[in-house]
Amino acid sequence: MAVSRYLTAQKISLLVLVNLYCDSALPSSATIPVLSFILSHAIPSAPSSARARRPREEHNASFPIQDFEDVLQSFTSNMPGRTLLDVFLKHLWEINSFDALYDLFNNIDNLLAKAADDPDQVVPAEQSPDTILLSRTSPLGAFVRRARIEFVRLQFDDALKLWSAFILYRAPTAQWTTRTAGLASSGFDHNATELGLRPGEDLYEVAYGHLENEAENGEVVSMDDLERLLEFQLERLQRLGCRVPGEMRTQLRSMLGPTPPVLRQSHIVRFFDAWKAGDYTSAFDNLHQYYDYATQAREKVHYQYALLHMAILQADFGCFGEAIAAINETIATARENQDMNCLNFSLSWLNHMSKAYPKQLKGAGYMGMLGSERDGLIFLKAKAKETKMYHLLGATLLNEARLSMSTGDSVARALEHMYQASHLIIKEDLTTQGGLRLLESTLYSRLGISHLSTVYSELLLHCYQQGGAVDEQIRAVCRGAISAMQNGNYDKALHQLEAIPSASHRTLKFHQYIYYCTGLIKLKRAIHRTDWTLCSALLPSLRPDQSSDPELSFLLTQAHVEYLIASGNFSSAFSTIEEYAASLNTQGADIAQRITILLLKAKLFARVGKPEAGFSIALRAASALEDANQETIATLYCHLGDSYVGLAGLEDPATSQGVRARAIKISRAEMYIDGARECYKKIEDIDGECEQLMKKALIAKLRGDEQLAEDWADNYNRVWEE
Amino acid sequence: MGSLSKADEAQLKAQLEDAVLSCNERCLYQSAKWAAELLNSLPATDDNGSETDVDSPMSDPPPPRTPSGHVARDPTEARLEARELHKFLLAKTYFDCREHDRCAAVFLPGSLPKGSIQPTSSPSAKSKLPGKGKARIGTPTKPRISIGAMQGLSQKALFLALYAKYIAGEKRMNEDSEMILGPQDGGVTINKELVGVSAVLEEWFDNLPSSGRRPQGWLEYLYGIVLAKGKNEQLALEYFIRSVELYPYNWGAWQELASLLGTTEELKDIGPRLPTNLMAFIFNVYASQELYQANDQIHDALSSILNYFPDSAFLKTQRALLYYHAKDFDEAENIFSNLLITDPHRIDSLDCYSNILYVMGMRPKLAFLAQIAMTTDKFRPETCCVVGNYFSLKSEHEKAVMYFRRALILDRNFLSAWTLMGHEYVEMKNTHAAIESYRRAVDVNRKDYRAWYGLGQTYEVLEMHSYALFYHQRAAALRPYDPKLWMAVGLCFGKVDKFTNAIRAYKRALVAGSYYDGGAGSSFGSGETSGLGGGILDPDVLYQIALLYERVSDMPECAAYMELVLAQEEGADYDESTGEGANGVGVTPTTTKARLWLARWEYMRGMYQRAMELANELCQDGFEVEDAKALVRDIRARMERERGDGR
Repeated sequence: MAVSRYLTAQKISLLVLVNLYCDSALPSSATIPVLSFILSHAIPSAPSSARARRPREEHNASFPIQDFEDVLQSFTSNMPGRTLLDVFLKHLWEINSFDALYDLFNNIDNLLAKAADDPDQVVPAEQSPDTILLSRTSPLGAFVRRARIEFVRLQFDDALKLWSAFILYRAPTAQWTTRTAGLASSGFDHNATELGLRPGEDLYEVAYGHLENEAENGEVVSMDDLERLLEFQLERLQRLGCRVPGEMRTQLRSMLGPTPPVLRQSHIVRFFDAWKAGDYTSAFDNLHQYYDYATQAREKVHYQYALLHMAILQADFGCFGEAIAAINETIATARENQDMNCLNFSLSWLNHMSKAYPKQLKGAGYMGMLGSERDGLIFLKAKAKETKMYHLLGATLLNEARLSMSTGDSVARALEHMYQASHLIIKEDLTTQGGLRLLESTLYSRLGISHLSTVYSELLLHCYQQGGAVDEQIRAVCRGAISAMQNGNYDKALHQLEAIPSASHRTLKFHQYIYYCTGLIKLKRAIHRTDWTLCSALLPSLRPDQSSDPELSFLLTQAHVEYLIASGNFSSAFSTIEEYAASLNTQGADIAQRITILLLKAKLFARVGKPEAGFSIALRAASALEDANQETIATLYCHLGDSYVGLAGLEDPATSQGVRARAIKISRAEMYIDGARECYKKIEDIDGECEQLMKKALIAKLRGDEQLAEDWADNYNRVWEE
Repeated sequence: MGSLSKADEAQLKAQLEDAVLSCNERCLYQSAKWAAELLNSLPATDDNGSETDVDSPMSDPPPPRTPSGHVARDPTEARLEARELHKFLLAKTYFDCREHDRCAAVFLPGSLPKGSIQPTSSPSAKSKLPGKGKARIGTPTKPRISIGAMQGLSQKALFLALYAKYIAGEKRMNEDSEMILGPQDGGVTINKELVGVSAVLEEWFDNLPSSGRRPQGWLEYLYGIVLAKGKNEQLALEYFIRSVELYPYNWGAWQELASLLGTTEELKDIGPRLPTNLMAFIFNVYASQELYQANDQIHDALSSILNYFPDSAFLKTQRALLYYHAKDFDEAENIFSNLLITDPHRIDSLDCYSNILYVMGMRPKLAFLAQIAMTTDKFRPETCCVVGNYFSLKSEHEKAVMYFRRALILDRNFLSAWTLMGHEYVEMKNTHAAIESYRRAVDVNRKDYRAWYGLGQTYEVLEMHSYALFYHQRAAALRPYDPKLWMAVGLCFGKVDKFTNAIRAYKRALVAGSYYDGGAGSSFGSGETSGLGGGILDPDVLYQIALLYERVSDMPECAAYMELVLAQEEGADYDESTGEGANGVGVTPTTTKARLWLARWEYMRGMYQRAMELANELCQDGFEVEDAKALVRDIRARMERERGDGR
């Protein structure tokens, strides 16, 4: 069944309602509800970003006829004893032949106020004074005019289709009230009744036999509605980066029918869907299909956008070489066509990519387009201001903040950028709230104010759930989970990850992200519980490839090294660290990551008996990470304890002063060891805890307190057996 | 009336069966359909098992020449057919797959003589007829295919091959034709295969007496078509008559024959030459209908055929069309409506039905009809005409024209679409396009009085009255009993100052009007659709006649006709036969004008008393009150003065 361009049975019913309104048949109490009902369905909701969408605003083009009942039932009409619904249905059923449908559309012209300078139009003489005339430019007037134009343009057989759709749409109302039952009993087609046709007769079957088949098809939407629907989907896809929900897919497919009309939007919706599903080939195919049809409809302008999409797609699937080639051509074409939006966006994207995947881009032969990174950002900022591209400006500000953070610049500068961005977001109602919150959360976690960081990521989850990109939400959840993990709350962390709605898993990228996150938490727990079999089972599946998220791949490498150290494989741990540190240095990575790697190295040195080498580094890092990472704290306490024991050994036991100093240092060491033990206990690191217990026992023994030493040793055994 | 005897019925059935098969073999699909429909409209056998008595003259046994069933075959032909059976099957399948050139090439591998037409203009012909280059030399009538080859073929094979050629030519002609009414579209594109086919057939018929072959009627039919296309109509008529003599059950031949007849006289002329059998009888009814003869005789004839074929949709349609020509729209509508119910998938002649609904102004029903036609088949010219008529009735003339054009794209010879499109162009004030449309309609069928009338009307709009006169006369000749056409003739005569001719034309209109009323009243119920009761003369016509007499200064005649106009107000008192003189036209603007004229006339003559009466009546009529009042004042003044003089 082909789809009509604009008119549907619903719209016909709305026109009947408009007719009622214009005849002043509505009681004044009903005017506002009825009008708003008409408008909500007749007028496309403007895709304005300035107005917040209500969640239920998703435009439902194929609303059932029951909606009319809901609106009209409660009002009484001017005629006593009849509800407005009765009057409406009476009018509806008065359209009792195909010809009457034509008349309806012919007559709606009379509802419009005549243009003053139109000499052809003569005002009908016997117009009742109650009639409301619609201005041609009013929303209702525009709706009426559009409907009329569209009807005039209909081919005869399309009009026929509309007629049968209308019959089907109206059919349920036949039994609603006794009054309509009377009207409806005369049949939906006056002609058929006059000829005495009954269902089953040949002529009836020719004229209306197809109705029954179509009744099963259900949804009847016009091309116009469909276009709007797809555009809505598209907007969601682009903004949220998610996939088309499963039920929506089936619904859309049923609307498009077995012979889908060629709608460009449907290709691009499919493209996004396939892209997010990780189906590279069909995404590619659909993208080409979309732009092939787009060029047919419009000019070459769309070429650069096609290239841009292609570049993003390629990069997303890890084909950086192709991505670079595509984006270079995008930039060239955009320059040629003077399309500043596209150009700036491409540059910004390129900038972002070189930041996120520096190694891969270098490998693909990217040499940097805009000189140094900072220059690039400044250029983009200027451009964005010039062309009033607030989105770009906001994104650039955030990038600047990110840059100053990763190079270890002053935090105040980063915060300044962020506040600027925040101001911009609020003022211009941009949709990048999520990104800002995430960045803030990162900043605070770096500053060691981990609860504030958690608060920000929770803020994102609580306040910007609606309309925020799914990507950012998942990041926020994962971040929360990791911070819970770092506090030893493994169950809570895993629980949080499990609570992510399963719909997100339908997007490949998100699925991978969550998968790695879960794997990381499990691995950490296994390392701490010295469950080597689980570790070796988990590790092979947790090797990030070059297209996965850089932040996560860092965490995974870190966990890997920890595993190597814990399992005593020091040499390979060392080589992994060295290798990774070198690669981080070459790509000018985030300073925080480098510090963490240094800490790992320090830990390794400590384990292999070179505490001095790691000590200074450890101390430097400690201040930044206080209160954030129990494990690091435990390690640091442990090192401190060890150091004090070592220092105590240097004191001269002969002198009383020396004896006292040694006792002080030993007790200090004991304090630190206790601290370390607490931390290890928190993160369920049995190994570490036992080690501390052993140290305690040893110190007690050295002091000569055999009883206490015995207690600690018992403790050790108990813990170990646990 | 009884029906056929059992034996006759069995024979008729056998012949119709044979006709369906034979037509199908020769790919004459429409004729086959017609025969099959007729075959199935015979009543079921058990219904009339007891009735065997009547053997009406219509059920004459067919002439002995007609092969009945498969038995009486010509042995020569049968032998030839048996020999080429496989090739024939091949050719037939090609034809069914619409590969017409290939079909023809099975039996006639060489090319046909091309005549003087430049063959390069037809690229498809080039690829399929490689030998054509040689064939171009020589005179058009010189066939390239040796007569020996032709004689070696059975008539059936030859017919199929040549018919395929002809159809291929038609197809190419359609492809070469310009856009409907486009700048290049003069309707002059011709079928380039005609010359070749005609040359072959001519030779074949020349050799017929010497070859000892017995003709079967099919080749005659084809030759007739070719001749008719070549405007050699007299000869074509001969061949069609020969064809139907030899094989009467090919309806296509009868149809072509009917299309060649321009007047009832011609029909009467050929009457004796036709075989006397059922088909000829049906033909007679059909041809009369096509010639707008709607008299009792035809109705009776039709009724008697309908007795044999009670379910025939074709015959019922003929009946409805007869009523339509007689302007008995209710009856016609009724028949069509029932036909629609009994056979909802039938689209044939629905365009006529839509015309009837259009005239009756039954818009919802017309919409319904359009709906049904549309759901059955969007791409039939009849469907497009129905939809076009619907839009026309809704005054959406652009859309109507669009659908009529579509009908014409589907079939350029679809007569009613041309005419109706002309009407639409008149409505849209596009007189040139209207004239061209009408002209094309007339070219397709010279019997279409509506197109002639339309042409006349259009020229009247263009103020070319003497030109319009010609067309109106043609229309009136086609329908001598239609007062409207005679009125148009009279009007034109009046405009070109031929008053006596005009008066005669108007009187003719009067006669025609009363003929219809009388005829309709007696034969099929009421004639009320003409708007006038029995015996009422059209006051407008009378008034026009009166005015014309005034122009020729025959005042007494004029006054007499004016009186007649007035008389129509009360109805036909003088017509005692109807017994219902009371239903006059009442007071109309025309009668008022007549009264005013009479009042002034009496006033001029000094008959003040009568003038006063008339003027007072005028004041009550309410049409020309001001004039009437002025007249009353004048009369009163005169009467006063006269009274004064008298005193």
